[in-house]
Amino acid sequence: MNRRQVLLGAAAVMGAAACGAPSGNDRLRYWNLFGGGDGVRMVELIDAFAASRPDLDVKASTLTWGPPYYTKLSMAAAGGRAPDVAILHLARLSSFAPGRLLDPFPQELLTAAGITPDRFLPAIWDRCVVDGQVYAIPLDTHPFVMYYNTELCRRLGLIGAGGDLVPLRGADDLVAAWSEARKLTGGYGLVLDTFGVSPWRLWWTLYRQLDGDLLTEDATALVIDDAKALQALDFMRRLSVTDAVAPGQMLLSGAVALFGSGKAAFLFNGEWEVTTFQTQKTPFSMVPFPEVFPGTSTDGIARTQADCHTFVLPHQRGRTAEGSRAALDYVRFMLDRSVDWAEGGHVPAWLPATRSAEYLALDPQSRYRDAAATAQLDPPAWFSGSASNMETLAGSAFGAVQAGTLTPEAGLARFKADMQRLIDTPAPV
Amino acid sequence: MAVETVDTPVRDTVPTPARGERSLTGLWFALPFLVIYAVFMIWPILAGLWSSLFNTSLAGGDVEFLGLSNYAELARDGAVWDSLWNTIYFTLLSTPPLVLVGLVMALLAHRARRTGWLLRFSFFMPFLLPVTVVALIWLWIYQADFGLLNAAVQWFGGGRVAWINDERTAMWAVVICTLWWTVGFNFLLYLAALQGIPRELHESAAVDGASPRQRLWRITLPLLRRTTGLILVLQLIASLKIFDQVYLLNEGAAAPITRPLIQYVYEQGFTSYRIGYASAISYLLFLIIMLVAFAQFKIFPAGRDD
Amino acid sequence: MRTRLPLSLLGVAVAILWLIPLAWAIDTSIKPEGETTRVPVTWIPDVFTLDAYRDVFTASDVPLWLLNSLVVATGVTVLTLAAASLAAYGFSRLDFPGKNWLFALILAGIMVPPQALIVPLFHQMQSLGLIDTYWGIILPQLAAPVIVFILKKFFDGLPREYEQAAALDGASRLRMFWSVVLPMSRPVLAAVGVFTFVGAWNNFLWPFIVISDPDLMTVPVGLGTVQSSYGLRYAEVMASAVIGGLPLVVVYAFLQRHVIRGVGDAGLKG
Repeated sequence: MNRRQVLLGAAAVMGAAACGAPSGNDRLRYWNLFGGGDGVRMVELIDAFAASRPDLDVKASTLTWGPPYYTKLSMAAAGGRAPDVAILHLARLSSFAPGRLLDPFPQELLTAAGITPDRFLPAIWDRCVVDGQVYAIPLDTHPFVMYYNTELCRRLGLIGAGGDLVPLRGADDLVAAWSEARKLTGGYGLVLDTFGVSPWRLWWTLYRQLDGDLLTEDATALVIDDAKALQALDFMRRLSVTDAVAPGQMLLSGAVALFGSGKAAFLFNGEWEVTTFQTQKTPFSMVPFPEVFPGTSTDGIARTQADCHTFVLPHQRGRTAEGSRAALDYVRFMLDRSVDWAEGGHVPAWLPATRSAEYLALDPQSRYRDAAATAQLDPPAWFSGSASNMETLAGSAFGAVQAGTLTPEAGLARFKADMQRLIDTPAPV
Repeated sequence: MAVETVDTPVRDTVPTPARGERSLTGLWFALPFLVIYAVFMIWPILAGLWSSLFNTSLAGGDVEFLGLSNYAELARDGAVWDSLWNTIYFTLLSTPPLVLVGLVMALLAHRARRTGWLLRFSFFMPFLLPVTVVALIWLWIYQADFGLLNAAVQWFGGGRVAWINDERTAMWAVVICTLWWTVGFNFLLYLAALQGIPRELHESAAVDGASPRQRLWRITLPLLRRTTGLILVLQLIASLKIFDQVYLLNEGAAAPITRPLIQYVYEQGFTSYRIGYASAISYLLFLIIMLVAFAQFKIFPAGRDD
Repeated sequence: MRTRLPLSLLGVAVAILWLIPLAWAIDTSIKPEGETTRVPVTWIPDVFTLDAYRDVFTASDVPLWLLNSLVVATGVTVLTLAAASLAAYGFSRLDFPGKNWLFALILAGIMVPPQALIVPLFHQMQSLGLIDTYWGIILPQLAAPVIVFILKKFFDGLPREYEQAAALDGASRLRMFWSVVLPMSRPVLAAVGVFTFVGAWNNFLWPFIVISDPDLMTVPVGLGTVQSSYGLRYAEVMASAVIGGLPLVVVYAFLQRHVIRGVGDAGLKG
């Protein structure tokens, strides 16, 4: 090959590069962060949608959950060539600069697609609307729940006559049950992740059960109640240090593996591992997060940390009505298949689905459905929401309390200092 | 001597252009590069300095002049100094093994006859892997439950170690991964230097009755001193810029225990949208690296010329 | 002679130790998924399967990323050589106003750490509309002052007689550069080209910053950003790592001598 040929070849490659950039309205690019058991179901649903729409070239991409996903999504939206539709946690909405990093759903298209406010829980729908514009369409709510091993609990005498877990409430009763369970398994009674954002989820659940508030409405000042915050942290320390019914240092993957193999009788986690345990044939069921501090429950369902997956339109410089319509077609398709989606664990946001007999027949998926009504999302702020700075910092401070390396007082002081720094930082959105 | 451009002789004197040829022709030759250089190197340096004085946001919106308050915030921000310390700590831990192992490898490969190809292949091959491939492989090796490393540790009677997540081992995990990946480059520089040592030196020393060990300590190692100096400088600068493998390993970790300075820049600029503040932190790093590079010119004035 | 044998044994031992991580990755990739998480670990799988490779090739973006890497690395290499050799020739052979300080400016750029520029550069790309484009990955990588420096040094050392002869024949400067100087510079261009190609192929940070669209990612970025949406499938992850790492390793195995020389020249890069 002589030099001329090399250069011509290179020119051809560069030419191909220039033309290769995807464009046009016949494509639907969709981003999500479902890397767990729910991802399997998402792929099935996308394949079904793609099969129903041969006119569209549907391309779904799953990015690494958490900060990597949100950073990429922001950068794509800032660059103006973002995907056509993407998943966003509802509590992240205010941090995503609606209007700049997100495009609103055109009202007439929403109406045409039959996506109307009366078909969602008002508390959730209201958070999707910013300045009178709809920026997010809720797909589901995912509360923090309690998994239990039915086989182990039967041996512990914790299964009632109806075959359900006997109601467990109050810190002492719960710890007593986990303590018995530990004796049975020889390992742990309860397992939970202490490294990621789960310490935040647990603490926020407990703190909200005590009716504590964290931020003023405009997120400009910390209004934390130290006594309640410490009460929650004391309970967390009790689990892994004082009563040692749970591990002090555990990754989510390890907690899931231990529960899945029957080496622990209870697990605190989001409800998305249903498929994982069904595949492993773990004898298990699920209940809403127990009422550790009785007092603020609604109809017997205690407050629980949660977030919602929503669909959003990331900002595109050249977003067209056809593009938005294709995205909405996909959103409506997903809402219509909410029950299939719910099989993966999430509680549908689409009310017609939650009232359907099909959904109510799902076991254990429909057992914690009421937790959606008492869901406690992160307080709105540019630094809060799933996988946010706040959750990461809180996870690290509270995780250290669970590990026993920080006292509850020291953990709280660290969290408050971190929060104060976030509050003092001028909001970049 | 360690680093030769090519094996074509390089003249000592730079030929000056013929007189009277001063024209714009040369500028036309240089123009394409100069334009790219100005737009993608010089302009961002200046624009970054400019935006470090504002509260510029990734999300757009109104921009407000802040003066030096980004720099004042940086001075107060513990995370800046923690991540700078992580960067320095990584440099301190990684440099000695990167130099020593590279040297030992070069000595082994230089002597090897029939196994030379194998040694050169296996020592240098990791350097050619993309960093992500390296990180994926090591994340799998470090995996706490079914990882190869814990299998080895347990075989020797040790316990389960969460290599990436445990504060005591996290930085070592990064160092070991980096050593495997990049030591091949230092190996190569040492090998080139060894091949540049005249055979006669060793032969005459052997005739004088010097043992192989004496020849190693008295001849080989002293002659490698310049190469070692070069490697140390290159290593120092490369370590200060570390991001890739730490970020990719951290992604698998729950908390950023080993977060280096560039990762903090990345997080502030892109995860938290604070382009202005991240630019200010960039300039701290910029300053440090320029100082080290400048010191390098002072310490090794001819470092680039032999 | 006494020390020869133990030392060569030590050499082989270190070589094997250095091959273990890659060998383990390959080993994992040819196991069925169920066997990858077996405890205690096994080196020899009960069942040997290439399923993971089939899945990576048919159901993932890895082939697309390989193509993107090829496009980007080729583009960076060709354009870098073109721009840098032209500039180096201008600085080596011709005199023009501002030459000295322009060259000093280029020399100073050798010390600039591109890693410290990611934030301003992204911001600039945003205003140029180059985010999520091939040009966005390629253009900033062309600003490589060290290559101008290497090539200028090489051109300085070339005899000028051939160009003078060509000048007598009435050749233009561009003609001299193209027909006289470039052919004489093949070794250095090959060396710099190899280094540039390897660098661009493996570059992670900048493509990672400028590309968010999985369709445009290069191998290192794609493997580090996009997940297979099937939970953790280690055989598949390792198969994609092996495929992603393979091209350069195979080239290296065949062209060891040339690649070592080419990358060795990177020693000049600060």
